Amino acid sequence: MTPNADGVSAKRPGDREPIARFHIIKEFSGFTLDCEAQFSSGVTAVFGRSGSGKTTLLNCLAGMVRPDDGYIEIMGRPVYSSGGNSSGRRATHLPPERRHIGYVFQDGMLFPHMSVAANIDYGHALVAPDRRTLRPDDVIELLELGPLVDRPVGGLSGGEAQRVALARALAASPELLLLDEPLSSLDAVMRGVIIRYLKKVWTELRIPMVLVSHSLSEVMALAEDTLVLSGGKKVAQGPPARVLGEPAVGAMADYPALENLVEAEIVRPTEGSRPGQILVGDATLEAPDVYGRIGERVTVSIRASDIIIATGKPSGLSARNVVPARLTELDVVSGRTLAHFDVGARLVVEIMDVSVREMGLRPGSDVYLIMKSNSVQVLNPERP
Amino acid sequence: MTSELSLLGLSLQVAVVATVMNLVPALAVSWLLVKRRIPGGFVLDLLVSLPLALPPVAIGFFLLLLLGREGPFGRISQTLFGSDIVFTWFAAAIAAAIVSFPLMTRSIMVAMAGVDQRLELSARTLGAGPWRVFLTITVPLAYRGILAGLLLGFVRALSEFGATIVVAGNISGRTETLPLAVYSNILLGKDGQALKLIAITIALAVISLAVHNWLLSRGGHREVNG
Repeated sequence: MTPNADGVSAKRPGDREPIARFHIIKEFSGFTLDCEAQFSSGVTAVFGRSGSGKTTLLNCLAGMVRPDDGYIEIMGRPVYSSGGNSSGRRATHLPPERRHIGYVFQDGMLFPHMSVAANIDYGHALVAPDRRTLRPDDVIELLELGPLVDRPVGGLSGGEAQRVALARALAASPELLLLDEPLSSLDAVMRGVIIRYLKKVWTELRIPMVLVSHSLSEVMALAEDTLVLSGGKKVAQGPPARVLGEPAVGAMADYPALENLVEAEIVRPTEGSRPGQILVGDATLEAPDVYGRIGERVTVSIRASDIIIATGKPSGLSARNVVPARLTELDVVSGRTLAHFDVGARLVVEIMDVSVREMGLRPGSDVYLIMKSNSVQVLNPERP
Repeated sequence: MTSELSLLGLSLQVAVVATVMNLVPALAVSWLLVKRRIPGGFVLDLLVSLPLALPPVAIGFFLLLLLGREGPFGRISQTLFGSDIVFTWFAAAIAAAIVSFPLMTRSIMVAMAGVDQRLELSARTLGAGPWRVFLTITVPLAYRGILAGLLLGFVRALSEFGATIVVAGNISGRTETLPLAVYSNILLGKDGQALKLIAITIALAVISLAVHNWLLSRGGHREVNG
């Protein structure tokens, strides 16, 4: 299942070459995107409200939109330069087909006149044999698309279509994958499934990704680095947990809706009325709907506002999950406090300022996290 | 009966040749206007639609000036082939082509505009150049609309009269198409014969339009689901 290592001409992020370096200036009617940044992590999120310029930024990287000024380098290769100012670069604008950048649209955009297999083969067939790093079969296996390959694309569900779109982009052996709101058209369960596959793309194939999202939960679940855009300008950049506390982010984030989307392993599936068990980091949690095989990896959703903090080990509780945890960081943003915890996985909890003061919480505090099992939602479509 | 058959044959020949001549330019112009959005496209757009707004007889006159013995194309034809273009069936085909071009092109433009640009952009990011995207994505997804446009142009070419009579005349057995023959019969007072030819024309038009509408209804259905 590992990608074919022969003939890998692409530079990988491990080479310490930034994935992308750019200064993009693009004017629209009454709006200017002006952003200079560098992406070096495996998975980078571009976060912002709709209209902040994040999709335009992505489209400029892909070559679908030509900036007015600036430069873009992908894996050290110049793909765009205005040729102006003091950059000393020659004017360049490589068309999308020569950038080796995969692009996954929000709703998949599968070719409706082709089967799933033909969609996946489309880009692969156009790659020079010595540049191929992945075979369609590898991708089909990785994304578990075997049962779908002979189907026409018309009958696929949203999540299936999104997976095929991902496979199609990967089969063209891209050096970088761009994803425009890859999860926003999916329901909660499918979102969890696609998050798992997206993580595999980086952990197993080492193909770096840049994804656009307006959901902090998705950004936290997937990205190592976050570029925050507002009104076409970069207002923050850094790891999601850090960026989360920035006032600029606080102004646009919907904290009450914030979810912890974390990876978990099934310990014991649900049987009848007996809840199942999952392992999140080092913590074993009970959840009502755990379906799948023992050891299977799934995505779990726990709302930041559904977790209670206790300074001492509580007893006599109806809540079934009491987990020791260490507070790593406190962010106070627009009257709300986000407490970051380490339980072997990162969890964010939303609490009141007053509670922080009265409980004397500070980074390093050892506490217990309390969750009702109903708050632990396993995002797995399998049901008996 | 033989005269009707030969009339029908010549009419079909003229309309088919006119349609075939238009195919590549209509696809190219549609692509430039819809998919490339070339600068100054509005001028091209206007030129494409112009024949629709002009009296066909005026188009015929322009063609006569261009293709006639004293016109630039007429002279080229004289030098190369030693023969005239005007007053031949080929002149009738050129006239029919020009008059039917706007209808055909506008239909194809609508069909191409119905292909989501993001599908074409996806193909570009997968490594396909503009030409391959056109052949493997745009045309296959728009083909019903393109065929419908061809049929609409064909029907218009079949019924062409005004420009044809100016540039090709009305020479029995050589340039006389169905509409011209209808005109001759009316002038000669042969109402019965004229009506008979009109019936043939109507039959051809009904068949073509029925297929045209069928293509568009199925095509529209597919766009929605795709």
